[in-house]
Amino acid sequence: MAVNAAQSQGAGIEQALAACAGGDKNALRRIYDQECPRMIGVAQRMLKRRALAEEAVQDSFILIWRHAGRFDPQRGSGLTWIYAILRNRSLSILRDEKRLETDESPIGQEAASEEDDPETVMAKLSDAKALRGCLETLPAPRRGMVLLAFVQGLSHGEIAGKLGMPLGTVKSWIRRSLLALKECLG
Amino acid sequence: MTQEPDREIVAGEYVLGLLDGAEKEAFEKQAASDAKLDAAVARWQARLAPIDVTAPLIEPSTGLWQRIESGLGQAPARSQATAPQSALGARLSQWWDSLWLWRGTALAGIAAALLLAVGLVAALDRARRQPVMVAVLLTETNLAAAVVNTFADGRVELLPLQDIAVPQGRALEIWTLWDRATGPRSVGLIDRARAVPLRLDNLPLGADQLFEITVEPAAGSPTGRPTGPIVAKGLTARRL
Repeated sequence: MAVNAAQSQGAGIEQALAACAGGDKNALRRIYDQECPRMIGVAQRMLKRRALAEEAVQDSFILIWRHAGRFDPQRGSGLTWIYAILRNRSLSILRDEKRLETDESPIGQEAASEEDDPETVMAKLSDAKALRGCLETLPAPRRGMVLLAFVQGLSHGEIAGKLGMPLGTVKSWIRRSLLALKECLG
Repeated sequence: MTQEPDREIVAGEYVLGLLDGAEKEAFEKQAASDAKLDAAVARWQARLAPIDVTAPLIEPSTGLWQRIESGLGQAPARSQATAPQSALGARLSQWWDSLWLWRGTALAGIAAALLLAVGLVAALDRARRQPVMVAVLLTETNLAAAVVNTFADGRVELLPLQDIAVPQGRALEIWTLWDRATGPRSVGLIDRARAVPLRLDNLPLGADQLFEITVEPAAGSPTGRPTGPIVAKGLTARRL
């Protein structure tokens, strides 16, 4: 149901982005009202801490506002563009924070919620999506690696550490999984 | 079978967030001028987008929209308006706290670079222009990367002491932080390490004031706050 709702609201996002490029703050507010809760959810799966997730969302909305004029509907949907900005910003915070962290434990060491577990994410993926069918054709450990990277923002090294596998194996398994997904999804 | 990884696969790794630092930078640069590669990125973003739909919905805390709205009209380098402290500001404060500890270990470096700075001034026969305060900006490895000199007539300048690598399409932005509640303010933007006057205008200036250099997009930080990696940082100290 959430997917259908997101799809039906998708077209509104492109219009809102065009209005943002023209300086209409209400249009940005419409995007905020529609997407903010899910954006915080996406950022929190990577950053674990609520305050950092909101920071990523805050920075993303400012970037969306500033760059709305560069959005190209030929390249992809407005929602995909917005989430690409959010993911980029979240990853920067995730990687920078690890470098600058002093007294608090690094983000990566904070336990991921069970909800962010690859198989839980799989269960939530819409049946209607080709992606789910294609991920199901991969052996569970391999799709797990892809999901750990995308959902939790883990690096090759972190995935290797978490699964107790050599780094080279993780890298080549992910490459092969991407190749299989590419062929399956076209 | 060994072969160069398919560009489409590298684009997939990029979208998964698996390219690190230099790899990511190089890939983004390449994709910016290669429409086919950029299209591969767009395809992966669309393919994987359904995964983001599985994220939990989390209601924003009160005030998030106000914080966003107050960041919208801010001209990155020149705003005089007082912005409320952001989460980013909070992170910077945390980093600022660590500076005190870090500063102790760097005293020797500061002293050495101070001599160098004063020597530079003398060598250029600018005795008249001796700085009132100096900040030595050190890298993470405690190398003196630049000095900030402040003069009695209110002028402030940045002098680099070594070359700083600036990726293509990026610039160096100089910030000052005098009050954590207000947050950092941009005081200059340079395309490469070179001497530059800093625009402090009516901003406060005192001892123990933080100056730092970050790597930002060529037009300056899009958010008006530091977003890129910190190249060097240091606190002002009064000349004897």
